[in-house]
Amino acid sequence: MSTVAAPPLSAPAERIRGLLSTTPLSDRVEVRDLDLPTLEVAPSDWPAVARFLRDDPGCRYDLFLDLAGVDNLKRKGQKTRFEAVVHLHSLPKNEHVRVKVLLPDGAPPALPTARDVWPAADWFEREAFDLCGFDFPGHPNLRRILCHDAFVGNALRKDYAPGQRWFATEEDMKMPAWSQETEARAGHFETQTLSIGPSHPATHGIVHLIARIDSERITRAETQIGYLHRCFEKMAETHTWNGVIPYTDRLNYVSAMINGVGYVRTVEKMLGVEIPERGILVRTILSEFSRIMDHCVNIGANLVDIGALTNFWYLYQPRETIYGLLEACCGARLTVSYVRVGGLAIDVPEDFVARCRALLESIPKFLSDVDRLVTNNRIVRNRLQGTGLVSKEQAVAWGLTGPMLRASGVPYDVRRARPYDFYDRFDWDVAVSTEGDNLARYLVRMEEMRQSLSIIRQAIEIFPEKGPVNSSDWHVVLPPKDAVYHDMESLIYHFKLIMEGIRVPRGERYEWIEAANGELGFYAISEGGGGPYRLKVRPPCFPMMAAFEKIIIGGTISDAIATLGTLNVIAGELDR
Amino acid sequence: MSGIVDVGVRTPQKLTFAQRLYLPEILAGMRVTIGHLLRNIFAIRKLPTILYPEQKRDYSGRFRGKHILKTREDGTLKCVACYMCQQACPAECITIVAGEHPKIAYEKYPVVFDIDMLRCVFCGFCVDACPKDAIWMTRDYELAFFSRGEAVFGIDRLIEKPGIPVKDGYGYRPYYPGDGTVPPTDAAAAPVQPGDGERAKLREKGLLPVFRPSAPRIAAKI
Repeated sequence: MSTVAAPPLSAPAERIRGLLSTTPLSDRVEVRDLDLPTLEVAPSDWPAVARFLRDDPGCRYDLFLDLAGVDNLKRKGQKTRFEAVVHLHSLPKNEHVRVKVLLPDGAPPALPTARDVWPAADWFEREAFDLCGFDFPGHPNLRRILCHDAFVGNALRKDYAPGQRWFATEEDMKMPAWSQETEARAGHFETQTLSIGPSHPATHGIVHLIARIDSERITRAETQIGYLHRCFEKMAETHTWNGVIPYTDRLNYVSAMINGVGYVRTVEKMLGVEIPERGILVRTILSEFSRIMDHCVNIGANLVDIGALTNFWYLYQPRETIYGLLEACCGARLTVSYVRVGGLAIDVPEDFVARCRALLESIPKFLSDVDRLVTNNRIVRNRLQGTGLVSKEQAVAWGLTGPMLRASGVPYDVRRARPYDFYDRFDWDVAVSTEGDNLARYLVRMEEMRQSLSIIRQAIEIFPEKGPVNSSDWHVVLPPKDAVYHDMESLIYHFKLIMEGIRVPRGERYEWIEAANGELGFYAISEGGGGPYRLKVRPPCFPMMAAFEKIIIGGTISDAIATLGTLNVIAGELDR
Repeated sequence: MSGIVDVGVRTPQKLTFAQRLYLPEILAGMRVTIGHLLRNIFAIRKLPTILYPEQKRDYSGRFRGKHILKTREDGTLKCVACYMCQQACPAECITIVAGEHPKIAYEKYPVVFDIDMLRCVFCGFCVDACPKDAIWMTRDYELAFFSRGEAVFGIDRLIEKPGIPVKDGYGYRPYYPGDGTVPPTDAAAAPVQPGDGERAKLREKGLLPVFRPSAPRIAAKI
């Protein structure tokens, strides 16, 4: 073997290597240290490594976060053309790890399914099958998930021509096989298959639920998604790093600001630029307001679904005012496009702090109104309490994050587990509940809104009156306009940034933040060009929707509707 | 940093006898809703709803609506057809075809400047990208069309017409009066003196490259 001394590994990577050396896998797994400890394994070793990572007491990587298929066709210095990149989190150790399953060239890309180790892998593997053409032997339901059944090819392969169009007709849309079976052998006259959606008012987006019901109870269900799929990840590959930002607004469009912050943080970490304190605080304040908005929409819509219409307006009124604040900052209410790599598009208006304070005054009133109307109302209790139950173990196994996970008793909040920006400076509580039912999720969200208000209040206290919001690095941030008009050098920087994009150094990075509905991760690969080589989003509601068909088994259709509301599934982010 | 709050414990899981009786809770709820009702009746002017289109929302000066092409004092476009906005546009909705300007001081000007308003996502990247202060946005958001072709706005519908006030006022732009941002002193508003055919002379001498429009005009599919 080579005698060149490898650079020293970080503590977690060194620990994993130490633990691995006691197993027969030691010489077949390479441990590297990128932004995260990274394991490189062959597909044949993947099941054993997966079990080791989940079960070894020194690892305990129990939360499956993401599986990204990567096509290295146009990337230099990679071992194989295809790799499946898995991101895991260990709740006991509070650490992330990356596993790269290198799929050997010369054979169709295939790796064994990890579905029996982490049930959350189910839909992520279907996604990689659909978009990258990876095969997962052992997966019982390996079908396309985001693209429709008449789609030919794999969109995220680098040799796929994106200009092609595939049309799906009604005949191409397949119902699951089991739903047909029921029709054929309907022994019980009350057993029938019910199709809810795709365009149903209770789905709040375009989601198709196929449920088999025995009188009132759901005995089997399956959700079909992808109706809003526009391949954000492929679009990102054809844009500059900044040009992706308007697309991120359309992921979780209820709290668009948070997506943008999550994305630019990834790029900023790759570049190593520092943002002035004022810029970070603006992002934090508006992100927390967006979180309040997201929870307002979620609770309001959920209560509408179960018949409590009034709350909708009480919750939408603060949302309206927050939209006004966002519009005053950046010029748009919903699709804000406010952040830029290296800062913000434009400084906040002069009355920013005053408007924030006015909002802080008005929002608690509406929250307490809703609280008084709903929380102890027996009708609401009957609908929410004890329905949509998710136990702690199930929540972790299904890869849930955010309020869903916390309502099941796991106090995992990225803002606390890995404080980014200034979250460690603020005094706030993580809202949890051990019940794991729909009521618990409602209560967790209500409390999170109050905690967000508290965070904003503290952020405003330390908010500098004046100061820059952008980094002063002109390799990243556009120079000030006045300089561009006057100064040739500034104009050249401006021109290079617009025409070629920011030059992000080669490498890869996974950055994660707490979005309104869970851990939002961006896995970006740069080849040194002006745009991403590959950008993978870890959408928090993707595993939630995957879990939905398991949560509703045994309940009634009306419970399923109430549960769908508390999941907080946003179709724009789900289908990307 | 602080702790963890268990909302499941703080809010009792079991309702009290009075709460289970429906009626007291419903009356408590009615108090909230009737309170709102009375407040709305007696403070009807403060209602958050807007009676559009009679009444319009007062948007900020940063609103990102329909674009406007700024002009110099002599009414010609400030745009020099540098393609920066076309390149920066994430929705690829801007089509520019450059022409050779008769005045050598400008060299290029847009023969065609089309924005497909159905593709545009109103992100304001074009305003940020413009090095000549030539494109701004307005607060005009009332854009409705009878056909797709009609949604492609050319120079005639984008140019700021002298003497005619901009519909709904200016929106997103590089600087705002009274906002701490200084208007650029050299935003090329002053007209350049008429040329004396200098470019034609240069062309005759073969000192100018052959002019090629760089982008074909894309006709909207109807």
